[in-house]
Amino acid sequence: MKILYLLTLAILITGIAQGQPPKKRSTQTFNSRATNAPGGNFLDKQWWLGLKAGANLSSVTIDKRYSAISPVNYPTVNTDKVYDEFNAIGSQVTLEVSFYYKGFSFSFQPAYRHSVFTYTNSFEWSDPENANNQLTLTYASEQKVDHVETPLIFKYDIIGNKLRPYVQLGIFYSFLINANKSVEVSGTDYASGGVNQFASDPVIIGAKDLFADNYWGLLGGVGANYNLGNVRLNLDIQYRKGMSLINATENRFGSDRLSGIGEAMDDIRLNNISLSVGCLFPMRYLASGFKTLDQR
Amino acid sequence: MTKYILSLLLTGLLWITSCVEETNPEFDQRSFTKIYDNYLFTSDFLPIDMVQTTDGGYLILGGRRLSNSNFTGIYLMKVDKKGNFIKEVEVDESYVNPIAQLALISGSYYFFCMDPLTLQAQLVQLDSDLENINVTTTSGDLYYPSAMQPDGNNLVLLTYNHLTKQSIIAVVNTSGTSTQQKGFTIGAGDQVEEPIINHFIRTGRQYPFEAGRIPSGLYYFNGFYNYTFSLVFTDLNQDNPNGVVQGIQDDGGLSAVLPLTSAKFAAARFNFGDNFILPNTTLNTTGISSSVDLGGNTFPELERNANMRILRTQIKGKNVLVYGSNTKSKQIGLYFYDEANGTFLTSKYLGFSNPFEIAQVISTEDGGLAVCGTTYLAGRFPRICIIKIASEDIKGL
Repeated sequence: MKILYLLTLAILITGIAQGQPPKKRSTQTFNSRATNAPGGNFLDKQWWLGLKAGANLSSVTIDKRYSAISPVNYPTVNTDKVYDEFNAIGSQVTLEVSFYYKGFSFSFQPAYRHSVFTYTNSFEWSDPENANNQLTLTYASEQKVDHVETPLIFKYDIIGNKLRPYVQLGIFYSFLINANKSVEVSGTDYASGGVNQFASDPVIIGAKDLFADNYWGLLGGVGANYNLGNVRLNLDIQYRKGMSLINATENRFGSDRLSGIGEAMDDIRLNNISLSVGCLFPMRYLASGFKTLDQR
Repeated sequence: MTKYILSLLLTGLLWITSCVEETNPEFDQRSFTKIYDNYLFTSDFLPIDMVQTTDGGYLILGGRRLSNSNFTGIYLMKVDKKGNFIKEVEVDESYVNPIAQLALISGSYYFFCMDPLTLQAQLVQLDSDLENINVTTTSGDLYYPSAMQPDGNNLVLLTYNHLTKQSIIAVVNTSGTSTQQKGFTIGAGDQVEEPIINHFIRTGRQYPFEAGRIPSGLYYFNGFYNYTFSLVFTDLNQDNPNGVVQGIQDDGGLSAVLPLTSAKFAAARFNFGDNFILPNTTLNTTGISSSVDLGGNTFPELERNANMRILRTQIKGKNVLVYGSNTKSKQIGLYFYDEANGTFLTSKYLGFSNPFEIAQVISTEDGGLAVCGTTYLAGRFPRICIIKIASEDIKGL
């Protein structure tokens, strides 16, 4: 898969190289968008290359719940993980390559994405005959997972002015790079002769084997480009909806450290809201002084 | 350029439609870890034996703490093929001290327990769904059942007779009738009996009692004989044993034994706390010998006088002996040996975070292994667990 990814990137770079104009045209033509002007049809096209980075928040959609704990005398639902939604900050850095044509853009935005999501499991043991015989335990887990993404996105510029807001839709495919999990155990022991509240230092465990090698999803979002001089400043907000599982179903109980405390990954899909800012550079039809077709 | 874009889209679609992860019920039963939790603070459960039933599920024989008895109560549990809990039965307190094995004979499962008042051995018959449980009092003076192994349609049972101070080995049929039995003295004096009684009320060391039969040959038991924890061979006719592999009082002896042929055994021994594995050894079934002379591979990582289980099975087409035991780091250690020559093949360690202890290891119908044991949730609550291992996850075979 990594080879295919590199191949795709190479094809795109080749496309960019081939997109350079074979011969020079006049400045007057480049800065005009009038279709009846000489060369006007070409001015509706542009390649943009840029870099952007930002933060993201994640949540999960549960397809099927699993637990290593199988209760014999209390409801199974008590063992369910309680996921927090969009509460832990991740990050991403994105390379954007876009081809613009008459308000529409086709964009390839390979990215390195670090996603974080959290959840808790709680357990309680008690004694109906002695209220002091009670122990509560909470396992707070933080899951960090790194992917390389290869999204293909269609954008539409809503209005074409110096500030150019747009909407976007796309599809992405992600490759797992790394994952780890930290688990912090805390609890209250009422059987110690008092109220004994305790907490352990987090245990950090490599969890790459617990995740799928790849997953895919759909994305949508809004954003805006601001033409500043010869470049575009970009603000981009995307919502990613995972369409396949991010966990490895075959290795669900693969970590003795985790299954030993009753932990097993649910079948989950990862959703993500990201906000990025960046800068895009025009790649063709530069006029003298680096004027682009947006200069009007 | 349009061609490029179309090519890219097609490639992308190919990526997307392949290689993505999906929920797979096959994986759910191929390997799993399940811990069967009870919310009661004072409940203690310990597994004793486990079998896989014909529906792919698992039937577990266990013990439970009783508040009104020094003996261990009987706990039965059925789980499905994915390890999900289905049913539990806490057998009435008038029956205690369940012992391995759960033997399958003619579609019914059998195990022995005892009456806490008369101390008489009881034969329990049950079905795989725990719908019908019948208890029959055994005939003959069979008290304190210690170990059992099926032999065809009969059950070879080791008991301790506190009245005659004898280890009794008996052949019992599925009606609970003792058809053959022979007693062997443990030696005179209360000091010899005390550790045996402590074993039954679980206030002392748990001894690796065993009983069985060499294929079409002598019967054997691993228990107390003549002041010593010994492996005793008998034809059930002679008053004296045919052969004895002596230990050193209760400081040395065999911790597990499995006959492979009439003379070849897979065994393990303990010696003043140390543990030795003997995957391919010859034991003298006649005459007197000493377990100390057997040598073996030492395993300092195992806890003192470790509980040991031996499974003879086939994994990935290879005949292997699987030794299961408890490590000092509170994991379950599995050690794989080539049955043909006793060569060490690989090892696998189970459990982490909370302590884990082995009760039984069995082979499963899909060619994998299932380990039944005890784990201590929150580091303190003993709960039964099953760790199912796919054969693909056993590296090195």
